[in-house]
This record gives sequence, C-alpha cells and structure tokens, in this order.
Amino acid sequence: MAARYEIFQESLIGGRKSNQDRVGYACANDTLLMIVADGMGGHLNGEIAAEIAVRVLIERFNREARIVLTSPAEFLRGALEAAHLAIGEYTRRHKLAEYPRTTCVACVVKQNIAYWCHAGDSRLYLLRNGRLYKRTSDHSRVQRMIDAGLIREEQALTHPDRNKIYSCLGGDQLPAISMSDGTALKDGDILLLCSDGLWGMLTSAEFEAAIAQESLKLALPKLIRKSNDLAAGQGDNLSVIALQWPGSVEKLEYIDSAVTMPAHFLTRPAGVPENRHNADDISDEEIERAIVEIQLAIQKLSK
Amino acid sequence: MAQPADLTLPEGYQLSNYRIVRNLSAGGFSTVYLAHDEGETPVAIKEYLPNGMVVRNGSMEVQANTPENLAPFRHGMKCFFEEGRTLAQINHPNVVRVENFFRANETVYLVMRYMRGRTLDFHIRANKQYFTESFMRRLFLSLLNGLREVHTHKLLHLDIKPANIYVTMDATPVLLDFGSARMTLNHDRPQLVPMYTKGFAAPEQYRGMAGLGPWTDIYSVGATMYSSLSGTPPQAADIREKEDQLTPAFDAWRGKFSDQLLLTIDRCLELDPLKRPQSVYALQKALLAYGSVLPPKSGLFGTLRRTLGRLGER
Repeated sequence: MAARYEIFQESLIGGRKSNQDRVGYACANDTLLMIVADGMGGHLNGEIAAEIAVRVLIERFNREARIVLTSPAEFLRGALEAAHLAIGEYTRRHKLAEYPRTTCVACVVKQNIAYWCHAGDSRLYLLRNGRLYKRTSDHSRVQRMIDAGLIREEQALTHPDRNKIYSCLGGDQLPAISMSDGTALKDGDILLLCSDGLWGMLTSAEFEAAIAQESLKLALPKLIRKSNDLAAGQGDNLSVIALQWPGSVEKLEYIDSAVTMPAHFLTRPAGVPENRHNADDISDEEIERAIVEIQLAIQKLSK
Repeated sequence: MAQPADLTLPEGYQLSNYRIVRNLSAGGFSTVYLAHDEGETPVAIKEYLPNGMVVRNGSMEVQANTPENLAPFRHGMKCFFEEGRTLAQINHPNVVRVENFFRANETVYLVMRYMRGRTLDFHIRANKQYFTESFMRRLFLSLLNGLREVHTHKLLHLDIKPANIYVTMDATPVLLDFGSARMTLNHDRPQLVPMYTKGFAAPEQYRGMAGLGPWTDIYSVGATMYSSLSGTPPQAADIREKEDQLTPAFDAWRGKFSDQLLLTIDRCLELDPLKRPQSVYALQKALLAYGSVLPPKSGLFGTLRRTLGRLGER
C-alpha cells in the first residue's frame, strides 16, 4: 500500500550570468531529504560551494538513511557541518584564493515528522490550511533589524543591507546552524524550500496568498512566474523545491511532476571530486545520473 | 588489437536512433563504428566494450564474461563516463565534438561528430619527410589551440600521438580519443592504471600519476612533432632515462628546418619536466616566434623584417 507524494522543483537563472543555486533531493526507506543551496555570488566559485553542499548531504543521506536514520536532527546538523568542512578541504586542495560560500536549507521528513535546519537566508516555509504556519528565520542583518523592531518586513525587501548574511557554509568561521524541532505534518501541508531569488520579491502575505488558493501543482508555477516577472530580468537565481503532504503514508515513493530539471540534476564543475566511497562500484542510479549530466553538458554547449 | 568478430555490432543494426554502417576500429577498451543518424548524417559511435572481459548475448546485450569480471567491467564504465564528461565540456574546432551519450545493450555509447580525413599517423607514413616548416608550425599551432582548451578545463590528455590526431580534409587537426584524459589537473588521486604509448609517453608517466601536468602532454606533442619528421616514434622515455640514444632534432635535421623549430622540439622532449615549455601557451609562443619562420641565415632582409615586426607590435 504505497502512497505517493509529489515533489516539485524548479531553478531559474534570473538575470544572472550563471546559476549558482543547487537543488537536490533523495529518499530511502521511509525518509526523504530536500535541499536548496544558494552559492554566494559575491564570492568566487559560489556554485562550487553549493554543489559540494548538495553532494555531501545527498551522499551522507544515501549512506545513513539506507540503514535507518535514527536521529534526523543530528543527521542534518552533522551533514551541514561536513559540507562546510568539505568546502574548506576543496579550497585548500585547489589552492583557491578565497573560500567559496553557500547558504543551505535542508529538510528531512521521516514517517510524518519534518525536521529542518539552515545556514544563511535560504528558507523553509511550512504552510498549513493555506496559511503560513512556520518559516525559518534568516541569518541576515535585516532579520536582526526586524527582530529588534527597527524595520518592518516589507522594508527589509528593499533595504540596502538585505543581502548581508552572517552564516553560511564555507569560509574560515564555523557556520551558525539553526535547527527546528520535529514537526508532525498534517494532510495538505506544504513544505517549501527556496533561495532568496524566490522570496526576495514577495512579502509573507503575498507569498501566502499565492499558495493558499489552489493546489501546489497549480500555485507553484504561478508563484515562480510572479517572482520572476517582478524581478523583470534583473533577478537573482531562483530555486525552489516543495512537496505537499498526503494522507496516510506507509511507504514513500515519489513521482516527479512539473519539473524543468531532471531528478538528480547536479552539474559538476570540472575538478569537483566525485563521491569517494565505493570507488570501484557504480550503481544503476549513478550510471543514469552520469548520462543525464553528460547529455546536459552536451546540450549546453551545442546551442 | 582485433576483437573477435562476434562481439562487434553487425552492419545495419539499429542502435537507438542510429544505424550501424561498419566497424571503424577496435581497441582494448572500446570499439568505434561508423553509423548514420535519422537524417543520414554520418557519426562515429564509440561503444564501451572492454576486450576479454565481456560477451554479447543474443539480444546484443553486453555482459561480463565471468562473475569476477563484473566489478572491473562496471569500474571501466566509470572511466568511459570520464571521457564523455571531458569531451562534453569542450566545444572547440580542434577537439573532437561529442554529440550524444546514451545507454543501451547494458553498456554505454559515445556519439561523436564524424569528419572526413585521416589520422596524422597515416599522413606521416604517406608523406614521410615531405612536411615543410610552415606546415609543421601551422598544424601544431592549431592542434595546440585544442590542447589549450583541454588544459583550461583542468584536464590532461595523456595520450597524444599521431594516431590520436585526426587531420580533416581542410587540414584542420582534431584531437581524438580522450580515453586517458581521466585525470584532472588538480587531482592527486590515482584513478586507474595508467595507459601510455611507448615513444610518446613522458618519462613521468612511467612513474605513475604523481608529477603529471601540462608539461606531460607537451612531451607527447614534442614526440609527435619529432616523429612527423623522422617517420618513426622517438626512443621510449623509460629507455632514454637509462641510456639516452635519441638523436636531437637539432642534430638530425639542421639546415632543413629552422634552428628555432628544431630546438623547440628538443626542448619539449627534455626528460626533465622543468626544462620543457611549461604551458601550451609557452610552446605556442615558441612556434609563433616571429622571424623563426624564415630559413636559417636569412641575412639582412630577415633582420629588417624582424625589426619591423617588433615595431609593428607597439
């Protein structure tokens, strides 16, 4: 009696020269992982940091969740820290002049309990009954100002310091990582992870209004389009991954819908190490992923 | 190395959207076919088919021939992906272009643009001692544009030799066969037993993966230039290290080619990597060096041209 849930993902380049966002998900047993990482454009090689973050999280998940993820919260914290260290190792090995950096928000759903954590200003929204139920609080200067009552949320969207964040993966300081408590999901709940390219154009009220009225399948493409239109070609990379929670779930499976990128969409900048465990074996999944990767690279250069 | 006939795909076989025309070549690791796509455009398709490790069943599927060979078969597939990954990143007139990559028959296929022409190896055998100075300079400058692109992507070719350089009908050299280009420039991790071709491989390639760099490919380019003049590969580097019997290009062809070209070839073939041109760009600069295109002892006129050339650069 396998139930299904649907994952939606989208990533747009916006008005930028390259897409430094990375989105990923993986599932095993009764457990699901979703990630959004937003490589920091002001720093060199932002997309490398985002890539490493998503890759490290998925690799660790594949290793640990295959058995059983006993503590999703601990897993998440450990995985984000490991990603931070992997970026540092990459920086040293390749003698990069500067640490590549990335924000990261990740969520694990085990049975019907969701756990999430983040560093930086990529967000998770939990919407219930068409209303905003929970959202992560950014590690940003403007969020601190809002918390201190200095500015209102709408003012933050246009504040000159709106892009300044004080936690990220990569860099010489340990990231501040915020963890959620486990939250039991109810039927119809929407979990949505996104980069600031999506939320940066909209207030929470507008965000809610866009999602509230319809099913996620219909609402999300509109929300993305609205954000992208508001940015009018000047926008940041915009990425989102979301799911709508179904009823009784005994075993998770997934189908992709409304995706513009294939599952496991992960580009690999030259020199990013591949996964190191089981160096001699290659799974069917890895084969498929490698083929997709190569085909995308071919298409990219053939245009 | 011949492959037993029953392993290659038969003529007329429909492979995905391609129809096999004939077998072009078979190596230890793969087999290359000429095929036509739906629009009858010819393509070269490389099939991952490690010799001695696989069988093909009645429905054309490739399978490991013993349980012990299953793991190496899968591992080799990973290396085949590396070639695909490498080439997919590069779109350059002097590097063979990959057009598609797909899985079928339990193995994987790399589809490349098919070009009419011959390998440099063929031209060397057909035109021994007829290469002119300006042909040499033009051909290798152009080839090095492709190699520079490869190095820019932090990759090494590691198997440059006349048989891996295709010369198209309009005399454009195209770098082929990236089966060895599985090492990225900033990896220090050995991934596979290295493959090399005696005579063209640099001495450091015999010592494993450490110390490889652009200078390693440059040795092979030097060896390729040398064999373009001599008609045969130079003495293998591991033997040279014990007793170097390679006649320097400068001694062998002095007077027939400019000193500068011959000395450039000899510099590429230095056993000490540090004595070679350290980058493709440095080698290109040497091949471009103005004035050196002139025959030796060019006299006053050459001096004038060199001077004018320098003035013109300002």
